[in-house]
Amino acid sequence: MPIIVLERLPLPNLKTYTGASVLALSACIYYATHIVKDPDWNKPKSDLDVSPSNNEDFINNNTNHSSPDDRTFSQFTGDTFSVMTKEPICVWIMINMAYCWLILIGRCVQKFVFGQLRVSEQQHLEEKFWNFVFYKFIFVFGVINVQYLEEVLLWCSWFSLLGFLHLLSQLGKDRFEYLSFSPTTPAWSHVKLLGLLGCIFVFSLFMFLISIFVGFFQGLNTFAFMSAEVILLGIRTLHVIVRYALHLYDICRDTNGSLSRDTATALEKRGPVIYYIELGFELNALIIDFVHHMHMLLWSNIFLSMASLVICMQLRYLFHEMQRRWKKHRNYLWVLNHMEQNYPMASAEEIAANSDNCAICWEKMETARKLPCSHLFHTMCLQSWLEQDKSCPTCRLALNIESPSDNRPESPEIQHNAPQPARRPLNHFFHFDGSRYVSWLPSFSVEVSQLPRLSRAPNSQLDAMARQVQQLFPHYLLPTIIEDLRVTRSVELTIENILDGRLNSQTLRESETISTTSSNVPLSILQSNVEQPDTSSSQNWDDINEENVENEDGIAVGSRFSKSPSEREQILHKRKEKLIQTARKRYVDKQRTPIST
Amino acid sequence: MAGSALRRLMAEYKQLTLNPPEGIIAGPINEENFFEWEALITGPEGTCFEGGVFPAKLIFPCDYPLSPPKMQFTCEMFHPNIYSDGRVCISILHAPGDDPMGYESSAERWSPVQSVEKILLSVVSMLAEPNDESGANVDAAKMWRENREEFNKIADRIVRKTLGIYIRE
Repeated sequence: MPIIVLERLPLPNLKTYTGASVLALSACIYYATHIVKDPDWNKPKSDLDVSPSNNEDFINNNTNHSSPDDRTFSQFTGDTFSVMTKEPICVWIMINMAYCWLILIGRCVQKFVFGQLRVSEQQHLEEKFWNFVFYKFIFVFGVINVQYLEEVLLWCSWFSLLGFLHLLSQLGKDRFEYLSFSPTTPAWSHVKLLGLLGCIFVFSLFMFLISIFVGFFQGLNTFAFMSAEVILLGIRTLHVIVRYALHLYDICRDTNGSLSRDTATALEKRGPVIYYIELGFELNALIIDFVHHMHMLLWSNIFLSMASLVICMQLRYLFHEMQRRWKKHRNYLWVLNHMEQNYPMASAEEIAANSDNCAICWEKMETARKLPCSHLFHTMCLQSWLEQDKSCPTCRLALNIESPSDNRPESPEIQHNAPQPARRPLNHFFHFDGSRYVSWLPSFSVEVSQLPRLSRAPNSQLDAMARQVQQLFPHYLLPTIIEDLRVTRSVELTIENILDGRLNSQTLRESETISTTSSNVPLSILQSNVEQPDTSSSQNWDDINEENVENEDGIAVGSRFSKSPSEREQILHKRKEKLIQTARKRYVDKQRTPIST
Repeated sequence: MAGSALRRLMAEYKQLTLNPPEGIIAGPINEENFFEWEALITGPEGTCFEGGVFPAKLIFPCDYPLSPPKMQFTCEMFHPNIYSDGRVCISILHAPGDDPMGYESSAERWSPVQSVEKILLSVVSMLAEPNDESGANVDAAKMWRENREEFNKIADRIVRKTLGIYIRE
């Protein structure tokens, strides 16, 4: 809401502002009535267009204004109004009053639905507000290049209303996300928020109708310009509403408690549906926004102006967003397909034998998928994890997945297999990292290598480099080295990393028995040094684990998990205090003993 | 998405309340927001942080447990693996994808199998055994290596500060 911005600027507060606006308006009305009262006043009827919001004030003003009657009341007010619309100052005052109303309405909605805004919500609003103002300014003065004041006023009032709804919708989304962080939200706040979102959606439908109506007279372009933002508003609001409904459904399911097998399988099936709904909403919003901007750019012949630059930037951003979303979707499909093919559903006996819950969501498994390492997970849980990482969550077994996004172009490979007379362990290696100089320069490496072809032919530069490193450090796993090489892109740096012990050393797996015979091992001392901190720390970790297991029973007595949130809070608070107090006591006791002895 | 995260956090909270590891308490700061927790960690015995009770804030992402939470001590800390603003730098808190330091194998990084309890336990072991190679706080790492006595003094001062004891004997 603009209020927040107003609060930041050295502007009068809302009360003074409202007071001043009302005062100015009454002065204006007084002036108008004064003129109208004059018998010489004649009335040429001219249809000056006034922003629609003025009507609102007009109606309002009627109520607190009474006049001595020569004419009928409605005639008189009609005259007053037409005088006011002709006087520029009066028009501005009325516009100001309209904004004042908008702000007041916003305040009321905020008080009623949201209460105190959180800091992040305020920041979001502020950002969104200025963004909106900026883009609409560009649109009105840069793109459609309005000539007449009336037109500007019309567009401004349209966008003010639209922006207002946009801000409310954004606020609703933020608040929904916040509410979904809590397991216990009073139903009343859900109702209020959903009501507001519903209202916004209805309003957006209404505005869509207006834009159709206007478009009917003004042509397709105006319609497209007007409706694009409205549709965006509608989509975003509807998206939040749908998410909200799903969330509420989830919560209800939770409180109902026990899941039957049927509902569990239904849930599994529901996952993809939800995913596609989300995808649909997001992609649609992006596409409409994109087309809208494209339309602006093409329609207005503003190829060489600041406005076009801004629009191009926005287009670029939207394009990247679409691309990102699409890539994510492809990854999703790919993982889904991969899972279907490679990881079978676990049989009922297997699930029964595995008494644990799903390690990802900690919930009971009615159906599950089995990884090659025979760990079981929910299909949906596994899916969302595999989208971001290709390993078993439990044992870290690297799954043999090469997703489409994985074969991203490595640095362009230029391999010369120049024949070399002798087998030299050292390769000529040249690495150029262009991004260090200018961001768009590519980085590439050139190697003149003569490596003994191993069982699996090294198909990339990295592989070759990794093997080179592994010759020096046979006890490091190849994938570990490759990973490090991906970052350093140079053999020397990786070796340095290993020497500094920054790489996690692991014993060689049987499958990776690579000709290590040729490696001379002058670094054995270093290696043992490297290994030591790792093992010791892991041992320590185990110790602590065991210690805690032993002590668990002692503490567990007396602590319980309450169902009521406030009681939980209190118990937690008490436990914290107790912990600090005992620690304090222990510390003081310990300080005393050496003194007393 | 937030729904499953919420359920899992609730389960973890329950577990941590019913079977708390010794010297560790963790739970949401406010029941209104289950994605921000406070944890109290007791300094491990036999180390320079012994006896201190260190408060830390855990902030969970809405796709938890797919992404790790962020952890930040809210008291003053002086430790090689804790940034001066309190952020904790241990591999278990790093998502498999990103690698800020560029040298961790993915095996020791975050996975959904990890939990708040495991994080806190590894922070305890980090307090006991700093890894002076990942220098989140270079000064602390240097002092830890070169001037252990001074380091212990600072640690003791911090311990007393967390306990609210300011008397010098």
